[in-house]
Amino acid sequence: MSLLGLEDRQWIFLATVVFAVTSGLGTYSALKLRRNAPRRYTLVLVSFGWILQTIGLYARGLQYGGCPLSNRFELVQFMVWSAIALYIFVGPAFRVSFLGMFTSTFATLFSILSLSIPAWDSPNRTPIFGDSPWIETHAALALFSYGVFGVLALTSSMYLLQSRSLKQKKMGGFFPFMPSIAELANINLRLLNVGFFILSSSLAIGAVYWTKDLESVNFPKLGTTIAVWLAYGTLLLLRFRQSLSYKQYSWACIAVFTVALLSLEAVDRSFDDPLDESSVRPPSEQL
Amino acid sequence: MSAQSGELLLVTINHETVPMEERERYALDEPQIRALYKSLHARNGIEESLILNTCNRFELYAKTVGVPNSESAVIDALGTFYKTDADSLRDHAQIHGGQDAIRHLIEVSAGLKSQITGEAEIFGQVKSAYAMCQNLGYAGALINRMTQKGFQAAKLIRHSTPIGEGQINISNVAVDLSLKIFGGLENAAALIIGTGEIGGKTAKAMRSRGAKQFGLASHTRERAEAAASEWGGEPLLVDELAEYIGKYDIVIASTETESPLLTRDALKAAHAQRKNRPLFLIDLGLPRNLDPRCEDLEDVYLYNLDDLARIAEDNLSERRAAIKSSEAIAAQKSESIWQVLVSRGLVSFL
Repeated sequence: MSLLGLEDRQWIFLATVVFAVTSGLGTYSALKLRRNAPRRYTLVLVSFGWILQTIGLYARGLQYGGCPLSNRFELVQFMVWSAIALYIFVGPAFRVSFLGMFTSTFATLFSILSLSIPAWDSPNRTPIFGDSPWIETHAALALFSYGVFGVLALTSSMYLLQSRSLKQKKMGGFFPFMPSIAELANINLRLLNVGFFILSSSLAIGAVYWTKDLESVNFPKLGTTIAVWLAYGTLLLLRFRQSLSYKQYSWACIAVFTVALLSLEAVDRSFDDPLDESSVRPPSEQL
Repeated sequence: MSAQSGELLLVTINHETVPMEERERYALDEPQIRALYKSLHARNGIEESLILNTCNRFELYAKTVGVPNSESAVIDALGTFYKTDADSLRDHAQIHGGQDAIRHLIEVSAGLKSQITGEAEIFGQVKSAYAMCQNLGYAGALINRMTQKGFQAAKLIRHSTPIGEGQINISNVAVDLSLKIFGGLENAAALIIGTGEIGGKTAKAMRSRGAKQFGLASHTRERAEAAASEWGGEPLLVDELAEYIGKYDIVIASTETESPLLTRDALKAAHAQRKNRPLFLIDLGLPRNLDPRCEDLEDVYLYNLDDLARIAEDNLSERRAAIKSSEAIAAQKSESIWQVLVSRGLVSFL
């Protein structure tokens, strides 16, 4: 759908360009100029990209009359949007230098991926939520938690990079510009708490509808969703019991996020599954 | 102070022009600086002046007006003050005029001319010298404009190039690494093993960056207590290391020992109780105080004297690599400052 003279994908393309420029400038500044790009400039650029992406997603949402979460392209875009939103609104409280650069790189890569595979975007699909705002909330929260877990995977990568540089005594590259490993470990734990809480809330809302109509969700979607939730829950438990080293914990966060991303495939397929058609029925009919 | 057109001249005697024994002759204390200002301005022709006097340099920036040879006038004035002949003064000094003098001021303020490239202390010293000159009333339109604009250019160099980045002494490198591990040092407990100078310096550097909890271990109770009373902290015995090492996040070892004070196995047992908290081991001893295999343990970061020296050297090389780009900024800025001074008629264009 067109908004303000541009199609939704064009807005998203422009946002991707802004994220790529932010990422490129941050990398150039660190590696070539050996200077840290000022955080406020990064924040302004990323926020600008996020506004463009929001316009694109809003234009797409107008088509459905709800959150644009009906195909893989939209799922990925919404996850990227959530990660960027987290950086913009919560990131400054973390005071993590270089998180903006990492987040914009993350946004660029996933956005390019989703834009470059036309099959991921099937705009002719029907809306998936019927007229139930709760199912929409369930889906939006789940995707938002994936955004949080995406940022967690980024901060985990930053931890591993810093730890490796310290172990190998290599002080070049991004090392001087990134936060301490203690700060990263602390942020990782907070992000896991937040992400797990949001995902749990999402599943709790979804469960209310699912228990009333067990066939409304197909098994692969149900299984992968529960597996992701259990994986993050287990990680949280192990971290609280201090059974994992920070390094193991960071690798696990990256691995579980990779699995979570793959689980989007099951979620996406569920939109095509005839079994799942009931989920698009208005809730009044489901009940 | 009039704003009559004149000439800008710089006389500098520094670590690049003469060895320390000669430089000592030109070192001044505050009353002597006042006396030199007075002596210079008692003469006809010197209208404004700025004296910079540090352990490594004596510099005089002067504006002369109405003298046929400003260089001779300034050298004569200095020769009279130092009771030395003009020729030996010329041998010891570099003399710059006009835009070159401004560029020199910028480069000195930014630390490009310092013995330790990029050190920041010099900027404060130049600012103090300027403040004194202003208070005594020897700074006029030329010195004020040149110095204030020169400071801006020096700040630009320090902010836009890595000239002052990275620590270049071993104690500060160790502190910087601690910060990269723990973020702040307020909650990190540090154990100093050995009461030698380098350990003391590192402890002092850590304290200045916020470290509060210290343990001081020595081979004898007396020496541990003496160090604890001097540096502050809990006195401990090296022989009992295994009992208390688990409590500390940073260990700085710099004592004389035949065999490692801490083996990998002993550390592994102690580290298990630390619940995955990182441990930073700094081995400043020769022979080494800590078993090199300690670094195989997860969350343990071990650095020895060579590692720290290499990082300091790398940082210094990086600073030196930034000299060229910093000099380009200094040249560009000095030219624009000079053009403004000429256009305002504060100096005559030579």
